[in-house]
Amino acid sequence: MSLTGSKRRASGGHIDRSRPISFTWNGKKMQGFEGDSLASALIANGVGIVGRSFKYHRPRGFMALGAEDPNAMVSVRDAHGYTPSIRAGQMPLAEGMEVRSVTGWPSASFDIGALAGLGKPFFGAGFYYKTMMWPNWSWFEPIVRRATGFGRPDGSKESRAAQHQYQAVDVLVVGAGPAGLAAAQGLIGSGLSVLVAEQEQRPGGSLLWEEAEIDGKPGIAWAQDIAKEIKATPGMQILTSTLVAAAYDTNIFTLVQSVIDARGIAAERHITLHAKQVILASGAVERPLLFADNDRPGVMLAGAVRRLIRDYGVAPCKQLVVKTSNDSGWLTAFAAQDAGIKVVAILDTRPRAEAVHLAQAEALGIPVVFEAAITAMKAGRQLRGLTVSTPSGVRKFACDGLAVAGGWTPLIHLACHRGAKPVWNDALQMFTVPELPQGWQASGGVTGCTSLTEALGQSLQAAAKSSQRQAKATPLVKAPAFGGVSLIRRPSGVPANKVWIDHQNDVKLSDVEIAVRENYVSVEHLKRYTTLGMGTDQGRTSNVNGLAMLAHLTGREISEVGITTFRPMVSAIRMGTIAGGHEGDLIAPRRYLPADAVHRRLGADFEDFGWQRPDWYHRPDASDRDTAVALEMAAVRSDVGIFDGSSLGKVEVTGPDAAAFLARFYVSDMATLKPGSVRYSVMLNEEGVIYDDGVVACLGPNHYLAGPTSGHAEAVAAHFERWRQTEWPSSRVAVGNVTSNWCSIAVAGPRARHILAVLNPDFDISPAAFKHMQVREGSWQGIPLRVARVSFTGELQFEISVPSRYAEALYETLLKGDAAGAPRAIGMEAWLRLRLEKGYIHLGSDTNGRTGPTEVGMAALVAKRQDDFIGKRSLTLPFALSDEREQLVGLVAVSGKIEAGARVLAPGCTAPPCKTEGYVTSGCDSPTLGHPIGLALIERGFARQGEEVTLYSNGRTSRARITSPVFYDPENERLRQ
Amino acid sequence: MILLRCPYCREMRSEAELTWGGEAGIMRPADPAIASDTEWTEYLFMRTNTKGWLQEQWCCSAGCGQWFKVERHTVSHQIRQILRFDEAFSDVTIAQEGAA
Ligand SMILES: [Zn+2]
Repeated sequence: MSLTGSKRRASGGHIDRSRPISFTWNGKKMQGFEGDSLASALIANGVGIVGRSFKYHRPRGFMALGAEDPNAMVSVRDAHGYTPSIRAGQMPLAEGMEVRSVTGWPSASFDIGALAGLGKPFFGAGFYYKTMMWPNWSWFEPIVRRATGFGRPDGSKESRAAQHQYQAVDVLVVGAGPAGLAAAQGLIGSGLSVLVAEQEQRPGGSLLWEEAEIDGKPGIAWAQDIAKEIKATPGMQILTSTLVAAAYDTNIFTLVQSVIDARGIAAERHITLHAKQVILASGAVERPLLFADNDRPGVMLAGAVRRLIRDYGVAPCKQLVVKTSNDSGWLTAFAAQDAGIKVVAILDTRPRAEAVHLAQAEALGIPVVFEAAITAMKAGRQLRGLTVSTPSGVRKFACDGLAVAGGWTPLIHLACHRGAKPVWNDALQMFTVPELPQGWQASGGVTGCTSLTEALGQSLQAAAKSSQRQAKATPLVKAPAFGGVSLIRRPSGVPANKVWIDHQNDVKLSDVEIAVRENYVSVEHLKRYTTLGMGTDQGRTSNVNGLAMLAHLTGREISEVGITTFRPMVSAIRMGTIAGGHEGDLIAPRRYLPADAVHRRLGADFEDFGWQRPDWYHRPDASDRDTAVALEMAAVRSDVGIFDGSSLGKVEVTGPDAAAFLARFYVSDMATLKPGSVRYSVMLNEEGVIYDDGVVACLGPNHYLAGPTSGHAEAVAAHFERWRQTEWPSSRVAVGNVTSNWCSIAVAGPRARHILAVLNPDFDISPAAFKHMQVREGSWQGIPLRVARVSFTGELQFEISVPSRYAEALYETLLKGDAAGAPRAIGMEAWLRLRLEKGYIHLGSDTNGRTGPTEVGMAALVAKRQDDFIGKRSLTLPFALSDEREQLVGLVAVSGKIEAGARVLAPGCTAPPCKTEGYVTSGCDSPTLGHPIGLALIERGFARQGEEVTLYSNGRTSRARITSPVFYDPENERLRQ
Repeated sequence: MILLRCPYCREMRSEAELTWGGEAGIMRPADPAIASDTEWTEYLFMRTNTKGWLQEQWCCSAGCGQWFKVERHTVSHQIRQILRFDEAFSDVTIAQEGAA
């Protein structure tokens, strides 16, 4: 075999023979040319077996040259990254590509699975449903997993760039074949913005390989001239290597454009496009024929053979037989003969009278057989010949290639994504979409049209309608007829288990027969039961043949059987392209505390809580988390700590009706809150479930500051705003989320007041003048200062706020402390454990989607309210009053640990499986108390104080006693200091 | 993708910039305290779930923040009316519906 490829012709095609390209196939060096696809280059190099089928590991060759090919799945590494699984025809050849087969072990051409007959006994129709049910599946899984699949990700990171773009145009033309180009040409001069998207690298579509003369020019020259004209017209663009992958509501499309350089696919653009109008010119793919042994390597679609010869300059075989059910197959015979391939015979399934190219075949001396059926193939690793039954008896032909032409399948996918209904057209023997989505037109092969003149006419009509102008005159076309309708026949006289319908998933005619016998006669059931059309080729070449057989076997018309649903994407697209730049650090913006730099300097170990927050601080006396957390807690309990709570929500509610407005949201009556006071409460949703908790401070008449949970501020502000706009629009209230405007630094511990004094506030901070649950406003060095005396830790605590830009200065000033010492920096973990010791709830941890105020011990507060608040009415619905509800209680360990998430087992149970009656919502070892504590939501928990329960977590059990949730300072003495 | 022109800020926005708020015309009982359990749960949970023309609430959440009302066909996503929140939907005749 020469390096330039054993099957490459000396001339012909649109490849550039002066530009060789080197690549490897399973490690073996090969050469192709610029203009080759991976498929054409592999075929030119004599690669016949490119993979193995999914179930039976049958050798598979190239059947087609594009996305419709069920067989040629390969992995490709180019200079820009690795693609684990792509059809060879979809990848333009590039220098240095490493290409490997992805099926078959140890290689596609020598597969152990096939030799051992692996799968044969148990891979029939319905295999998955009959066999892979527990417990059986667990026995089969290791075998099946190893034997199946197409390609493996190798874990490497792509250097391919991915961009997201948004565009809007007046007209999207899908496809730049003759129909799409004619439509675009018809739109030139209309002033409309037009985008023509073409999947291939070059415009022209079938004109790249079919014989045609348009307007006195060779078809390809006509196509290139129009493409040039489009590019030169302002407002019009033509994007090649661009797949229109999906169509969505309101004419939004997903396009994927590959940016290809000499060394592969360098980048991909994910384009979200809105189009006012659409001209669908997506064409059609060829349908194979059903006959015995039709899955042998060497059997190719007739159109693909024409393309290999005329576009890529490749002669795929030496002796060719053409099997056809329409006139187009004959054109392959003529093209092959012209390329020096010996055409052994044309086998036409039709009677002689229907063939329009008979005279030409006879003039070329090509033997022709009508009403022919292939009954057997002679093939080992390569096709060697076939047996044909004819009206005049059985004949045998020697050949190494077989081209099949079984008619056409319009590519209607995009219209169907929009809900257009595919309808079987009996005259054309194809599924088409007679009723298109609003604003859509179609032209060319996608309408079932096989005449070039007619296709161009349709396109110009569509363009005229889009631009509301007179249609341009249809150009003069000279092209051989494709004509003839291809009837799908059930092969007769051959065993059904030798007739392959879906070559990727190994679905045979016999599988359809089994499905029918077992009453899976709906097309959707057939698909799932046999896996017909469920492969990566989405059944482009197999679906119609499969359901034609289903119709035949059930005595129905194809129109009655129908077709399975088309869903996006039209063809596989890279996950990396969908993700675009949204990966790693760019997946979402990080939120930093305003004093972030100080925490970094202090050695904080950060964690993402929606905000980047210090979890604990490295210190000379604390190099590990447990030690640090214990020391931080001890500092708060015995001296003083400083904690950055700037992420805490801050929502200002102002206006004459602000008090009444807030009262409608909280379980506590905020209308009675006096200026300078703070109140803690929970807010419910209308279903009576706790939605948020926090304090509300009254800063003055008509001026309130609500403090939603960290990370919930935007949602709570939006919640306030929605009710304001939609339910109480006449309320004189303004809602403003000022969370990021103010930092909030807490000092907590017995010496907290001494640290606050460092700021020298311009208001009295003595215990008598500034009590627990009060708020003061003043200034610090001329900047606004707000201090709330509230507590999350159970100790004396002040939350000190200044505008965020002074956060670092405030934190540094407080951190210096006073003559008696500096406060210790406290991280989230210590902070949360301190509040757990005090039994304060942590929203979302200690509450869930069913927890109401009663369940957290606020029933008395609810009972006190006379007026309405959001969710109140739901608290008297029967389900809210049920005594089966989980109530929040404390837990003290009797033996073992208390871990958040542990299940509380029903009384009498020692290990699962058994009934459980709740779960631990928070748990930790309490250094203050010297034993593990926790909070738990337990059915009827309030009535079970003192009861011992068994906890179960990750295979371990422990025992705990139900207690009050307040473990530390239940009399609140420390808060009053 | 649904595109709506906000009746307040007059910008055309895609559904990614908007928040869907469910059916419009959901009336909160004037005095919840005297509403029966049935009346209250109807208000909370019962929706028409129309296949066809549906009047619904949308918020210009990435824009001006205003809630507004839209009449949308839940199958075709055609938009028939876009109103400010305090405006009432106009009756659309059967003939228009047929044409849409
Ligand atoms: Zn707006």
